[in-house]
Amino acid sequence: MKIYLALTVASLKMYFRNKQALFWALFFPLLIMLIFGIMNFDKYASPDVGIYDAAENDASRALIHALEGNDQQKLLNVSVDTFDEVHHELEFGSSRAVIEIPVNYGTLGEFAEIKVTYDERFQQERAVISTILGKVTDAVFKELAQVPDEYRVENSIGISESVITGQGQGFKAWLIPGIAAMAIMQTGLFTVVFTLVRFKSQGVLRRMKATPIGAAHFLAGQLTTKAIVVVLQTYVLVIVGAIVLGVSVGAGRLGAWFDLTILALLGGALFIAIGLAVSGWAKNEETAAPVANIISMPMMFLSGVFFPLSAMPDWLTRWSQYLPLTYLADGMRAITVEGASITTLGSELLGLGVWIVISFAIATKMFRWE
Amino acid sequence: MNTAIDPVIVAKDLRKKYGDITAVNGISFEVHRGEVFGMLGPNGAGKTTTVEILEGMRNADSGDAIINGINVKDHPTAVKAMIGVQLQQNAFFDNLKLSEIVDLYAKLYLAKVDPVEILSRVGLDNRKKTKYAELSGGQKQRLSVAVALVNDPVVLFLDEPTTGLDPQARRQLWELVRTIQKSGATIVMTTHYMEEAEELCDRIAVIENGEIIAIDTPDALIDQLLATGFKPEKRVREATLDDVFLNLTGHDLRD
Repeated sequence: MKIYLALTVASLKMYFRNKQALFWALFFPLLIMLIFGIMNFDKYASPDVGIYDAAENDASRALIHALEGNDQQKLLNVSVDTFDEVHHELEFGSSRAVIEIPVNYGTLGEFAEIKVTYDERFQQERAVISTILGKVTDAVFKELAQVPDEYRVENSIGISESVITGQGQGFKAWLIPGIAAMAIMQTGLFTVVFTLVRFKSQGVLRRMKATPIGAAHFLAGQLTTKAIVVVLQTYVLVIVGAIVLGVSVGAGRLGAWFDLTILALLGGALFIAIGLAVSGWAKNEETAAPVANIISMPMMFLSGVFFPLSAMPDWLTRWSQYLPLTYLADGMRAITVEGASITTLGSELLGLGVWIVISFAIATKMFRWE
Repeated sequence: MNTAIDPVIVAKDLRKKYGDITAVNGISFEVHRGEVFGMLGPNGAGKTTTVEILEGMRNADSGDAIINGINVKDHPTAVKAMIGVQLQQNAFFDNLKLSEIVDLYAKLYLAKVDPVEILSRVGLDNRKKTKYAELSGGQKQRLSVAVALVNDPVVLFLDEPTTGLDPQARRQLWELVRTIQKSGATIVMTTHYMEEAEELCDRIAVIENGEIIAIDTPDALIDQLLATGFKPEKRVREATLDDVFLNLTGHDLRD
């Protein structure tokens, strides 16, 4: 225990004296977060609207198409999804309204009531969406005006409106947990790859092997340090991000910090295991660094760190949703943005768990002391 | 000083193969308490492998290595706890200060030492706050000897301790070896430098192709050679180029 403590303290000292590692673990992610946060992409897009289409017929599809506008004039930024998903997006995400198309929509002779729910915090967007919806329904059904009077649109369609108070804090709040997850990946992967490969190639590990404690204890101290760093780094990134970008964390729930700590440790374990596998395989830093980059770079862009997965083509998200970083970023986002508790994150925890098992299996197979 | 039994090292028919290559091919010898024992031989002769088997860093294919009465193969941890090791390639932590490195290694042996006192034994006490990365080659070598001393070892292994050092630093290290020997430790060292072996070693073993081809005191080995009628090609002068160099540049250590 005393030995383990001494090794951990020593390796913490080494870590915090390594300016380069600190830069990549803290200042670089902070910088990215602030740059993207200040750009605030929310402002420039047309309002996001989620549509739940229960009818799924030609008429409802025509309506959705019309709401999207055309190339000359884009009206609404529409995403069609399940009932739960569109309401979830309205409450926690960047969506400003939900439009529910009833199942009897487009059926002649029946009265179809379209329900619209707005986030009351965004009155300006509400006015825009309401106007567009009114004009579009009018226009779509005037084209079908050849039908007899009793079936005329004016008679058979109604729009009912309601409001909720959403909790979504827009892109800024969305960005912070993603960047924190990315930073965990970078720390786990790169500090292991660089320090361990260097310790190995310089002979530090051999020298440890000559002592009675052996190199396994030494590794344990190293890993403890990385765990501490990963958690501290997550706190710093989330706190500084929340203060500077002016968003709240975990809907004010104090347990969110505990949940974040658990997720950070799981993510740290996962990427450290991947780092161990890479450094076990690589003989020196020159080969380890590119391999680590090949693993981390695609994940940075495909795991929804900078932009939502929904902004990517389906064929890409179909498999990028299974990336380790996607699980970590999604889980951390659910906690910080939606105020979710870690106990509700079944699929993210399962995904992380499976990846941890796979990575540790590969790491133990690949790792060589010399 | 840990008490040592005599002979403190017994190597019995050590053998080690790497694939098809036989690195150690039946090496046996004994080292007595308080001796400086030198192992000489060309690169790849099997010196380092032999030393590493004694240190518990490698397992021999067959044969026994016994340090202070303990079989290395059976109790490598116990042996590692009572020996001091300086490896051929010694690396420590770039971002730690020297006193921190000594302190850390002392804790690994659960030894209570004053890092500054240990550093002063190798003349690095004025560098205790320097980071490892900032040391010169000679200082790094001396630090690795200091680290090997933290557990007050029964046997100190030095693998090519002066390779790559300038003449001043080498002489300083010789002085250090003599001091350590006087304090009662047994020292096993490998070297490529014959004048170093002649200067320091009480006995030497010459190793070639994994076998010991000669083992005796330096004087006895020289006498045996002369007895065969051997004459040096060039008459030995009263001084060497080493002496000229040291006379010109002084004995003071360069950092």
